[in-house]
Amino acid sequence: MVDFFLGLLPHLLNGVALGLLFALLSLGFMLIIGVMEVINLAHGSLFALGAYFAVMLMGQDGGLPFAFMQAYYDLPAIPRYIIALIVAPALVAVVGMGLEICLRRTYGKDPLYGLLLTFGAALVLEEIIREIWGPAEYFLPLPKAIRGGFFFGDMIYSNYRIFAAVFAMAMIGLLWAFLNRTPYGAVIKAGAHDSEMVRVLGYNLSRLRLFVFAFGAALAAIAGIVMAPIWGVRPHVGVDAVIPAFVVIVLGGVGSFWGAVSAGLLVGMVVALTAAFLTEWSLLSMYLLLLVVVTFRSRGFAGKASALKA
Amino acid sequence: MDPQGIKNWFTAPMLVSFLVFGTMPFWIEAIGLYQYLGLEVMIWVIFALAVNLLLGYTGLPSFGHGAFLGIGAYAFGLTQFNVAANLWISLLGAVAVTAVLGGLVAAFISHRRGIYFALMTIACAQIFFFIASKWTDVTGGEDGLLNIARLPIDLGLAEISIKSNFNLYYLCFAAYVIIVAGMWRLVHSPFGKVISAIKQNDSRVAFLGYNVWLYKWLIFTLSCAVSGLAGALFAMAQEGAYINIMSLQWSGIVILIVLIGGGFISFWGPVLGVIFYFLARDILGAYTEAWLLWFGLTFMVMVMFKPEGLAGIWQDGQAMFGRRKAAVEPCPEPNHAGGD
Repeated sequence: MVDFFLGLLPHLLNGVALGLLFALLSLGFMLIIGVMEVINLAHGSLFALGAYFAVMLMGQDGGLPFAFMQAYYDLPAIPRYIIALIVAPALVAVVGMGLEICLRRTYGKDPLYGLLLTFGAALVLEEIIREIWGPAEYFLPLPKAIRGGFFFGDMIYSNYRIFAAVFAMAMIGLLWAFLNRTPYGAVIKAGAHDSEMVRVLGYNLSRLRLFVFAFGAALAAIAGIVMAPIWGVRPHVGVDAVIPAFVVIVLGGVGSFWGAVSAGLLVGMVVALTAAFLTEWSLLSMYLLLLVVVTFRSRGFAGKASALKA
Repeated sequence: MDPQGIKNWFTAPMLVSFLVFGTMPFWIEAIGLYQYLGLEVMIWVIFALAVNLLLGYTGLPSFGHGAFLGIGAYAFGLTQFNVAANLWISLLGAVAVTAVLGGLVAAFISHRRGIYFALMTIACAQIFFFIASKWTDVTGGEDGLLNIARLPIDLGLAEISIKSNFNLYYLCFAAYVIIVAGMWRLVHSPFGKVISAIKQNDSRVAFLGYNVWLYKWLIFTLSCAVSGLAGALFAMAQEGAYINIMSLQWSGIVILIVLIGGGFISFWGPVLGVIFYFLARDILGAYTEAWLLWFGLTFMVMVMFKPEGLAGIWQDGQAMFGRRKAAVEPCPEPNHAGGD
């Protein structure tokens, strides 16, 4: 019995890492829902795009073929990884801004239009990814410090999962501090509560929306980069990412920061445990989870009326 | 039938579409295209009409409808291999299996609308996709179900071979005529009025005493059954059933087709959309591999600036030339956009 639980430990660690990354992804998704009242079906594609940009910035087989990049690719892996973690989300944020500008025409209309537009954007982004990087799977090269594994008891633990969990936790902490301890965070929260009121108070609502969308996109990209070594980088990975984000939001309730984090952990655990015992079907578990959650608990655990009443 | 009765069944655009599609195999090669393209257009028109029954008429975005096209194709092949190598029985098998699975899915999702509905359809479609790709013994997995035969049309006394694309086209055309005539009656029947009302405001429809859940369930199941028929025809056209049509990408493309054509405002939107899609594929595809990207961008521009689609542009054109004063209204009234 003890052995069984000890054997489970590495999978639980995987679950925590996955869960925290899901939470990070969903928090960006939630900010966009809050301020723009748009379900961003392209969120997963932004996640995928982040991973691809990181592959490009890390070099090796996904790098840019330009001569001037060569000096950059000769840098040690750690600075390149740090640059990837900063530049890739920034690039995705720019893409997100473009998407928000397209979305402006759907504000105030039937929410179906926002849904259709982001759905179209998801397909377009996936096609762009296929055009640039092809259908093959990439692996994000990692610095030595966070590769490999170590033994604890009889089980092998992956260093990277621990790095991913700690990194995601730090990002979630920073995000919380940003939203709750800075005046910018206060404006975003107010915008999610009542965006018209924010406009009346003299804030530039268009700029706020642009910023929040870019910010949400950057969070998706960060989650994508950190997830890349775990899931691999495929054009289709975006669809697999938008589903957990949605499950997490439904479970945690829109507007609840810690709700999203705990729901993220729960979803991560479920996916990691299915992966441990039924590897082939681990992605399927997410879809089954979505069906169960929406069928029985579409108001979320918090029991509040959902803001997703599209 | 008195003249009014005939008018209820057939309209000018419908007859134009019958005329155009009915003669297509005779002139399609003259304009530089090929017979198989006509076949694809016909099958996708049936599929797109089924999707529009949900998206355009009931306001239910089904983002995973490709799954039902695939199920129809697999069911057609499996019935043919395991039950009876007869066209009618295999078609019936395809439609019945798709309707049953569609009804099952509908039972899970009919109390939903909007975003929840869309995501539930994605989840269900992905589940079917996973099952089809992993259950290799039945579906052939990634290789697909090969060697599906184009069974002859058994008319009791005589048999007509549909081995040639030309003959198979006319089978698809016959299906199109039946589906279009039936669907036209359906959306203009009291049942059709209720589903249009559900699109506008389902709470109000419920207050009026209609069982909204049941209407949604019925229309979803019906749409799946028609998709299954399209899938069966597609299996014959391709002489096989493959997993790729069940992917989300194909489900997405059919949504793009319906919306670009103008499914929100016109019965004929999906028909226009399918023609536009296949022409774009063959014409743009000749210049660039990335034509689907451009098609997707066209879709985004359409959602932003003209969500009424090609049918909306047609109506605007008519309004401009004074034939019709009223501007475009988002109601399922027929316009005069024929199938040209």
